[in-house]
Amino acid sequence: MTFTILSTGLLGLLAPPLRDLAYLDPGSGSILLQLLIAGLLGFLVLMRSSWSRIKSLFRRGPEPEQEEDDEPSDSES
Amino acid sequence: MTNRPIRRVEASFRDPSGFLFTRDGVLYRQINRAYQDEYERLIDSGLYERLARAKLLVPHEEVDEPSAAADAAFKVIRPEQLAFISYPYEWSFSQLKDAALLTLSIQKKALAAGMTLKDSSAYNIQYHHGRPILIDTLSFEPYREGEPWVAYRQFCQHFLAPLALMSYRDVRLSGLLREFIDGVPLDLAAALLPGRTRLNLNLLLHLHLHAAAIKRYAARETPSSVAGRQMDKRALVGLIDGLESAVRKLQWDPGRTAWAGYYSEATGHYAEEAMTHKVALVESFLDEIGPQNVWDLGANTGEFSRLASDRGIPTIAFDIDPGAVELNYLECVRRQEEHLLPLVLDLTNPSPGIGWNNRERKPILDRSKPDTVMALALLHHLAIGNNVPLDRLADFFGALGRWLIIEFVPREDPQVQRLLSMRKDIFENYTQEAFLSAFSSHFHVRRSEPIRKTARSLHLLEAR
Repeated sequence: MTFTILSTGLLGLLAPPLRDLAYLDPGSGSILLQLLIAGLLGFLVLMRSSWSRIKSLFRRGPEPEQEEDDEPSDSES
Repeated sequence: MTNRPIRRVEASFRDPSGFLFTRDGVLYRQINRAYQDEYERLIDSGLYERLARAKLLVPHEEVDEPSAAADAAFKVIRPEQLAFISYPYEWSFSQLKDAALLTLSIQKKALAAGMTLKDSSAYNIQYHHGRPILIDTLSFEPYREGEPWVAYRQFCQHFLAPLALMSYRDVRLSGLLREFIDGVPLDLAAALLPGRTRLNLNLLLHLHLHAAAIKRYAARETPSSVAGRQMDKRALVGLIDGLESAVRKLQWDPGRTAWAGYYSEATGHYAEEAMTHKVALVESFLDEIGPQNVWDLGANTGEFSRLASDRGIPTIAFDIDPGAVELNYLECVRRQEEHLLPLVLDLTNPSPGIGWNNRERKPILDRSKPDTVMALALLHHLAIGNNVPLDRLADFFGALGRWLIIEFVPREDPQVQRLLSMRKDIFENYTQEAFLSAFSSHFHVRRSEPIRKTARSLHLLEAR
């Protein structure tokens, strides 16, 4: 039932058929779940980036260059 | 030169992109022609260089070594060699968590370079110089806009489900990874997790709804509601972000584990002077033998393991207590230690061979052998706590390494008395003389020193 609710509320885009098969069985349920929640996930990313933009308007000083990256050891020079 | 015998690695058979083999004790990876385009993309996109330089992916060299299956071969590479292969069911909570975060971090960098991980097995991560690293160079494939993540289920089974179970239920549930070779089935995880995990959006989506989706669509046609739907890149990034956020928020506090307070609180049986003397003895034994590597069995939080690893000796600190291993690992991270690897191991039931033909994941004692074994305050737990006769203990240690630094804790010691307090003393034979006599069938006794202020003694034995 949850899926019916989710799937009716989400954007469906016209798309090419799923890729030729992976060497591991990705699981049809796992693939379908991702397609069903894709709209929600995209929306959350959009929300998060808008929110951080709004926050930055009120932040004093120069905006820190921070992408969503986490590895402190991964300094790219 | 092509006649030198090769051995294909038993764990390396699923992916048609290539496989691992050894020749003269050196590990190589054959890349098959089927993977040529993907490999060239990995290199040409700069992704390999970026990941290897950041120590996220094992570095390799392309070599002229003859391939192991020439008809399929595109290239042979020699990855940087690892000292020891450990498995996720031997990791503490934070070790599995760091491996999960590494996988997601690599996936994000791959997506930024137009590639994606085609698998996300916890076995593809190893601990190397103190940090997790991806060892499967053939895990990447080009990302195609619109496609979901094919390794999503594997990630949830190998990482998210066991971490959530360890965090919300019991840290010992990591043992499920030993039972299930491809990770914890999500319906099992969902059934075992407390209901309140449904209130966490990411756990709701990636474990509970995911488990329901797998069950619901196991044997069905694609429903018309998703036909023609795709997952744009922003959604895919959102998926990885969600998984990352879920993993980051999972916590486990080792608190007062069975052994973690052993040294700090038990001053009664570990008077400072005794401890200092024991440290000095272990140090002098280590300096005398100069080990190639050390396995510290029953290492607790690694106080004595560090006597070896701080000398630059590659050391593995095994303990049965996941809390002690967790504290040890956190200390390794804090001190950025490169030579110490803490692992969970129950010596009374060591990791067996599992997976295909029982050979896919090797028994721990078949993976490598130590040069030097330390067994401090351990023997009485095995001999009395687990009723293992001394001659069998001698057989076990005799088959391990050349050197053995072993502590004998006699019957009158308070720790042994505690083990005996509620049970019949059937251990008349448990004496230092009987111990040395049993072990002398496998070892020469090089040194025997009493530990000051205790009835204990420390012995340096060399295999016959």
